[in-house]
Amino acid sequence: MGSAQSVPPEMRALAERTGFTSEQIEQLHRRFKQLNHNRKTIRKEDFDTIPDLEFNPIRARIVHAFFDKRNLRKAPAGLAEEINFEDFLTIMSYFRPIEMDMDEERLESFRKEKLKFLFHMYDADYDGIITLQEYKNVLDELMSGNPHLEKESLRAIAEGAMLEAASACMARTGPDEVYEGITFEDFLKVWKGIDIETKMHVRFLTMEAIAHCY
Amino acid sequence: MHPPGSGPTASPGPAAVPPAGAELLRWQWQEVQVPCLVAAWILVASLAKIVFHLSRKVTSVVPESCLLILLGLGLGGIVLAVAKKPKYQLEPNMFFLFLLPPIVLDSGYFMPSRLFFDNIGAILTYAVVGTLWNSFTTGTALWGLHQAGLMDPGVEAGLMDFLLFGSLISAVDPVAVLAVFEEVHVNETLFIIVFGESLLNDAVTVVLYKVFNSFVELGPAHIHATDYVKGVASFFLVSLGGTAVGLLFAFLLALITRFTKRVRIIEPLFVFLLAYVAYLAAEMVSLSAILAVTFCGICCKKYVEANISQKSRTTVKYTMKTLASSSETIIFMFLGMSAVDTSKWAWDTALVLGTLFFILLFRAVGVVLQTYVLNRFRLIPLDRIDQVVMSYGGLRGAVAFALVILLDEAKVKAKDYFVATTIVVVFFTVIVQGLTIKPLVTWLKVKRSDHHKPTLNEELHEHAFDHILAAVEDIVGHHGYHYWRDKWEQFDKKYLSQLLMRKSAYKLRDEIWDVYYKLNIRDAISFVDQGGHVLSAAKLALPSMPSRTSMSESSVTNLLRESGSGACLDLQVIDTVRSRRDKEDAAMHHVLRGSLYKPRRRYKASYSRHFISPDKQERQDKEIFRQNMKRRLETFKSTKHNVCSSKSKARLKEKGRKKKNISLPSDAPNGRTHRNVPWQEAAPVLVTVSSDEEESDSSETEREDDEGIVFVARATDEVLQGKTTPGSLDVCPSPCIIPPSPTLAEKELPWKGDQADLAVYVSSETTKIVPVDMQKAWNQSISSLESIASPPGIETGAQHRRFARPMLEKQPQSASQATPEQVSRFQFPSHISKSSRSKSDSSPEGAEQQELQPLMGTEEQGRGLPPAEHRRLAFSRASHI
Repeated sequence: MGSAQSVPPEMRALAERTGFTSEQIEQLHRRFKQLNHNRKTIRKEDFDTIPDLEFNPIRARIVHAFFDKRNLRKAPAGLAEEINFEDFLTIMSYFRPIEMDMDEERLESFRKEKLKFLFHMYDADYDGIITLQEYKNVLDELMSGNPHLEKESLRAIAEGAMLEAASACMARTGPDEVYEGITFEDFLKVWKGIDIETKMHVRFLTMEAIAHCY
Repeated sequence: MHPPGSGPTASPGPAAVPPAGAELLRWQWQEVQVPCLVAAWILVASLAKIVFHLSRKVTSVVPESCLLILLGLGLGGIVLAVAKKPKYQLEPNMFFLFLLPPIVLDSGYFMPSRLFFDNIGAILTYAVVGTLWNSFTTGTALWGLHQAGLMDPGVEAGLMDFLLFGSLISAVDPVAVLAVFEEVHVNETLFIIVFGESLLNDAVTVVLYKVFNSFVELGPAHIHATDYVKGVASFFLVSLGGTAVGLLFAFLLALITRFTKRVRIIEPLFVFLLAYVAYLAAEMVSLSAILAVTFCGICCKKYVEANISQKSRTTVKYTMKTLASSSETIIFMFLGMSAVDTSKWAWDTALVLGTLFFILLFRAVGVVLQTYVLNRFRLIPLDRIDQVVMSYGGLRGAVAFALVILLDEAKVKAKDYFVATTIVVVFFTVIVQGLTIKPLVTWLKVKRSDHHKPTLNEELHEHAFDHILAAVEDIVGHHGYHYWRDKWEQFDKKYLSQLLMRKSAYKLRDEIWDVYYKLNIRDAISFVDQGGHVLSAAKLALPSMPSRTSMSESSVTNLLRESGSGACLDLQVIDTVRSRRDKEDAAMHHVLRGSLYKPRRRYKASYSRHFISPDKQERQDKEIFRQNMKRRLETFKSTKHNVCSSKSKARLKEKGRKKKNISLPSDAPNGRTHRNVPWQEAAPVLVTVSSDEEESDSSETEREDDEGIVFVARATDEVLQGKTTPGSLDVCPSPCIIPPSPTLAEKELPWKGDQADLAVYVSSETTKIVPVDMQKAWNQSISSLESIASPPGIETGAQHRRFARPMLEKQPQSASQATPEQVSRFQFPSHISKSSRSKSDSSPEGAEQQELQPLMGTEEQGRGLPPAEHRRLAFSRASHI
């Protein structure tokens, strides 16, 4: 296992930036190299080689999120061609679990980070608003696993959800006002009922994985 | 009380003239005694519940279980005083065979399964390791006490006896835990861990109890090493066997409910019967019956709920809750009554206090130790407060009592002592801990659960979220929990659901859809509660009345504002406004009357759900909801629901011909009720018919009996003649202005027409409200919809044309060139169907539906247009045949 003494400085920098432990970084690095066949960067096609991902209905969207410059904290819009390991870690850090010693403030920002990531997944055109069409597209992908659900139901659900968001977020809408879509503030409101910070996490380092690798 | 023999002795007399008085009535107490007593006790317990709940203060402080135990004590005292001997005890047999199963079934069936499986690791640890730890430590410690000579010498018990006692006293009791924790409302995770533990520890308890019981019977001298091995093996056998029995019956149950379509009325019965049989079967082979019923409940729910009708669902729910609740009531009451039987008691202070102390101590120690280990694996660690609540929430209950009563006095010499101790422990945990846990939880500021109904957005996001997490796990390359859940869901979708769910249910089943549906109903009901004012304000658009969006604003200020410029606090003004308000109310009344009871035709294009209940009230709710939704949609500045899903019945017809040689038009009127149907309801028709498995009753489409299959039909030629419905208004979104179009639909119902071949039923909406400042995305989606749409789309096509892409624009025209005759012949001959099917192979999912319903292409907008064009190609080709 990576002991504390042998940690190279760049690794430590990475660890500080992303909040991962050096073991986790090593672990992820191994996986990273496995995915991109020992190249420096990872491209979209590399994700196609993951067999388990194949059946995921929103896989394209998820893979997309890895290359989203907003998520990479590089630019307000656009899509990266390829990402290096650091970017990979940045994306992965969205999925870190909360820590015991987090105070309220950090928890809140942690939560916002995670939600931002999700928001970007919905907001495909970088305009900061999830429009009905965008929402519907996500839904369409989500439900593609169920071929029996009619498209019309999707429409209805999307519209219902949008209406719900609209009514939750705009208390005082004039009749002429247009609800353009879900902004990030609204998105936060919508997610209020879900403890995202306790749910959005993946176990990055497990005993099993260690045993497997050493 | 007359002896029952008195009647028969008199009866052999002359049969013609019965002796006066003696034969008219007969006292037959003996014959009805047992059921009568049962009924009487249940009645007493239920009445007691009413009395308890008269005072909210009492029940908010004291858990019901405490009150019931106290009541039982009181009643037991009365019985003892009257009958001079203790009667009506909690019999272990009665408890295990009749009282426990409903509670366990209820908790299993309504177990939040997601939460349960999310925490299954922790639950299992606490249930297995925790219970083992508790019973061994408690047993040994008590034995130590005994060895130290602290106990009365009358307590004749060896190590095995104490271990036996430890095993029965250490198990957390599901009934008690549920009774107390339901009132405490701790957060879900905490609740599921404590409660899940109490359910799953049954296997451990049963095994330990049986093993030690047999060890006691054998005597310590005769126990061999193999017996220990057997004990361990029997643990796995009992727990896994019990679970397997449960799963087996869950499977059977799901399978059976799949075929109850025609016997709806006994659907709920199957649920109870099979679960009970599962319990008995497990009990019969001495497996863990609680595990069997729990898993039967957890696993069958999804499929059963999908299969049975809405009413059966409600019935199951209420019956289950009623049974469980009354069982619980009776258990606690009888527990109290059993305590007064002093003949069973043998008090030993050291034993009682020692037991109390040890179970509390070891529970706490066990929880802390296990949590310490578990937290290294859990991503959301259980903090100290959780641990305190978990330790303190380890309530003992009727299971322990029933088990201790079951002990054989001849073999377990200290039985009386154990009984007394158990009663004290149960009373202490239920009363003292039950009373104090609430203040404790408040004092510790334990995270409470917030009970809010899931919103549609939440459901959607969570759904997406699961996929995201699974995907990230895939990418990280770690086969964790999400990975396996994902795999399971795929398996379930592919095989289990198909096998266990009714076709129609399977096709429509979707969690998101369910939530959507439930929300709709809720919305409708709340709307009714509001009194429909929202509707009136937004919809009526009476000239005299400025539109209000909400009636919750205070009426006077609101009315003043409405009355125009110049705030005038003159009473008279208010009066006039009032009268205006009355007018509004009257108008609304008319609208409601006009639209609510026979609304179907007018509001065909709106939200709907997968079934129509014949229940008038329900339909009304839905209708109101629809209008409400529509109103909101309009404020939302989107178009109303465009339902243009044209449905081709070609395949249905083909099939009908093949099999029965009956053309559709002739059998349609007989087979179904014709109501206006929104598009979802059409789904089962389409789908069932296209499935080949549906045997002989292919023409009689599978439908729920509370689900109507109705078509919104518009005469195609009518549209083609260029008649536009006057309802397509930009200005006024009021539906009441939209002239009712049902006549159109009814006049020219395809199946009423002469052309027997007419196979295209086009369900469409008559009106489209297209706000000028619509969003671009919206415009595009609608215009594409219009253009892809079959003929009826044209009516509003003009409005959208400016948004429509040129190549899309052609379509309606080409379609419009089709004369009614052509359209009437419009069906997919088999080769066309095949070809278009093969074409759509590239997008296999829903390909058939797309083929059949060209209009569903709207959703394709985001993905690009080519697929839509494909479909249209097929469409127009077909139409030119």
